[in-house]
Amino acid sequence: MSGGPLLSVRGLAKRYGGVIALDHVDLDVAAGELVGIIGPNGSGKSTLFDCVTGLVAPDAGTVALRGEDVTGRATHALAARGLVRSFQKTAVFGTLSLVDNLVAAGQAQAFGGTLPAFGLGARAARRTAELVDRARGFLDALDLAPLARAPAAAISFGQQKLLQFASCLMSRPALVLLDEPLAGVNPVLIERMAAHIRRANAEAGTTFVIVEHNTDVLLGLCARVIVLARGRVLAAGPPAAVARDARVIEAYLGAPLDDNG
Amino acid sequence: MRAINFAHGEYYMLGALVAWTALDRLGWPYPAAVATAVVVLALLGLAVSRLLMERLLVMPFSMAVLATLGVQLALQNGAQLVWGASPKFFGGGWTAPVQVGGVGIVGQQLVIFGAAAVLFAGLAWLVRRTHLGRAMRAVAQNREACEVVGLDVERVARITFTLGVTLAGLAGALVAPILVNVGTTIGLPMVLRCFAIIVLGGVGSVPGALVGGLILGVAESFVAGYLTLQLRDAVGFTVLIAMLIVRPQGLFGVRVRS
Amino acid sequence: MALLAPLAASDYVLHVAVLSFIYLLPALGLNLVYGYAGLLSLATGAFFGIGAYASALLALRLGWPFWLAFPAAGVVCALIAVPMAVPALRLRSYSFVMVTLGFLVISESVAKNWIGLTRGDMGLIDIPRPRLGTTALASVTQLYYLTLITAVLAALAFRAVVRAPAGRALIALRDDETLAEAYGLDTWRFKLAAFVLGALLAGLGGSLYAHYTTVLDPLVFDVFHTLTLMTIVFGGGAGTLGGVLLGTVVFLFVPEALRVTPQWRMVIYGVLLVVFVFRLPGGLGPALARRLAHREAA
Repeated sequence: MSGGPLLSVRGLAKRYGGVIALDHVDLDVAAGELVGIIGPNGSGKSTLFDCVTGLVAPDAGTVALRGEDVTGRATHALAARGLVRSFQKTAVFGTLSLVDNLVAAGQAQAFGGTLPAFGLGARAARRTAELVDRARGFLDALDLAPLARAPAAAISFGQQKLLQFASCLMSRPALVLLDEPLAGVNPVLIERMAAHIRRANAEAGTTFVIVEHNTDVLLGLCARVIVLARGRVLAAGPPAAVARDARVIEAYLGAPLDDNG
Repeated sequence: MRAINFAHGEYYMLGALVAWTALDRLGWPYPAAVATAVVVLALLGLAVSRLLMERLLVMPFSMAVLATLGVQLALQNGAQLVWGASPKFFGGGWTAPVQVGGVGIVGQQLVIFGAAAVLFAGLAWLVRRTHLGRAMRAVAQNREACEVVGLDVERVARITFTLGVTLAGLAGALVAPILVNVGTTIGLPMVLRCFAIIVLGGVGSVPGALVGGLILGVAESFVAGYLTLQLRDAVGFTVLIAMLIVRPQGLFGVRVRS
Repeated sequence: MALLAPLAASDYVLHVAVLSFIYLLPALGLNLVYGYAGLLSLATGAFFGIGAYASALLALRLGWPFWLAFPAAGVVCALIAVPMAVPALRLRSYSFVMVTLGFLVISESVAKNWIGLTRGDMGLIDIPRPRLGTTALASVTQLYYLTLITAVLAALAFRAVVRAPAGRALIALRDDETLAEAYGLDTWRFKLAAFVLGALLAGLGGSLYAHYTTVLDPLVFDVFHTLTLMTIVFGGGAGTLGGVLLGTVVFLFVPEALRVTPQWRMVIYGVLLVVFVFRLPGGLGPALARRLAHREAA
């Protein structure tokens, strides 16, 4: 692979009626990075994810994955190229069990297309068994194993967030966009999730871009932090520097970042 | 209101049959029969709304549609049990021929035309200028936001629905003299036409419905006159399908972000 | 037990059973489209009629035996389903419903008006019964076994699809389409596959219907069939196999066997649909399963 960035966003703009959600945003993410995105509410963080993953078509600008222009491509096509994202609200397949949720999240990559998914032979069974194994591994690591057979709609909000987090990793993606993955999660399990992220990053080279309000964990986890405010990149750099940046402090209405604000 | 109401045609049918009952069984004059239909249907609409339609607001789309299918089944077949399956001869209305600019039409058609004009003007005024109309549009766009600001969504829905049912009943009573024979089966073809008109004109647009109705009526007449009468029912749907493929928001509709 | 029924039951009950077995095919098709892919489609009835006419015409005009006409009917429906679904699936849910309804109405209109092909309202008669060798399967008992076999095969095929990874993908996209897309599932393709399979099943059922009743007219497109199918699938339990089986028994077999008049049946269907929407949205099947599970646990 060439030395270019894994994800490259140039001039991304999006407005909804009179509201400017993204105002010509430029950013790069290199393979293997752990990047955090912070910013006050309404700063365009979710819209950024929406545009990058093809959920929403941007008004202007380009999104490139490994140098290939993927602006506005269908979400599943991007997932096929190794780009997965999580959602701020709980997003699980309610009627499927936890195991099936995870298998469903990984099966597109394992089966590589629609037609193979109808397969009934030994190969399909083997692939499914592999997915089930991975799924159980995740459930064990996140203390969800006793609920493996429960329908996802029946578990708590925090548990659903954990499930969503694990689902994102099932397909062994190259780039994972996490949209507030820690909100509502038990503090002990937050540490587990952070450990998972670090491990996936170190062992598999998975790149993470994480939007979070929990700045404590974020600043400890990420090597680089980008600050978005009112649809623009306000500042970017190592966490310590960003935390002291006057503009950033001002954007958060005067509360210094390392004050649990 | 963002729900497909398959039962709508049955209110049209009931309007015609209630008017017939008043006319034929009770011997009342035609205008009184029409008024009876309007009152009965308004009460029915209110009842159905309170018992059913308002509760559908919080349901997923497919459930609501199934419920209205259920209502359609129950109303149409219930009507058959009450009135019998064979069509009734409708004797009232201004059926004497009238000359308008060299074309011979029936007096009732002028009445319908006049009523339509008045109702459309009234509806357009209601939706654009009144408080209630603004509330209706707000509910159609974002129900949750309405509840947050304290708008009584159920009440708005109730009024909207009852109004719709009453208008359908009125239409049935007014069109009955032209149909001459009214039976319990006239509901379904009518509601299908309504869908076609709404899609053609654009969901949520009153002038769109007017234009859509005119276009559909003309198209149907042309097909019936120049091709074959049998194809008339299919015209509505062919137009609808073509419209949905080419321009899903209709002629006057607005693209809504889901 | 079902294998021995013809020994004990009257001809009329067997006839109703045959109808139920025939109906199971389009019901399974609708279950796939609605219960699994989450598409509210009224086109199943249209494909039922198209399959019936295709099979009858192949047999009458081209002299094809039932064993060829039957699969051909399914293929014809699948082929028609593709160009219909490609634009229709792009639409939002209420537009999609209306397009499927429109397809039903237009199919009926074509059947009534393309007199050269279908003989319009006069209909087709003397549709040949299936033949085994030289003998025609004409008695109710023989047809009972035939349709029982097709019903069982259809149920097994249905189960196979649902157990396959594709079945999981369909449930996922029914639960949350955006999420399924985010994990890489090409939801559009899966919906198309479900729709085409549903059309295929409905077409096969239509073929059986035509060759069983031996007469066919445009009434086969009447919305009555579609509404009965919807009641069976929705009332029995959309998204489950047992639910649809139960639904066919409760909503078709029982009323037909009791010879309940159509009007009362439809009124009851209508009321039940409404009641189910509010009280039992999962359908009878899952509700019964829950009740049984409770009793075991207690």
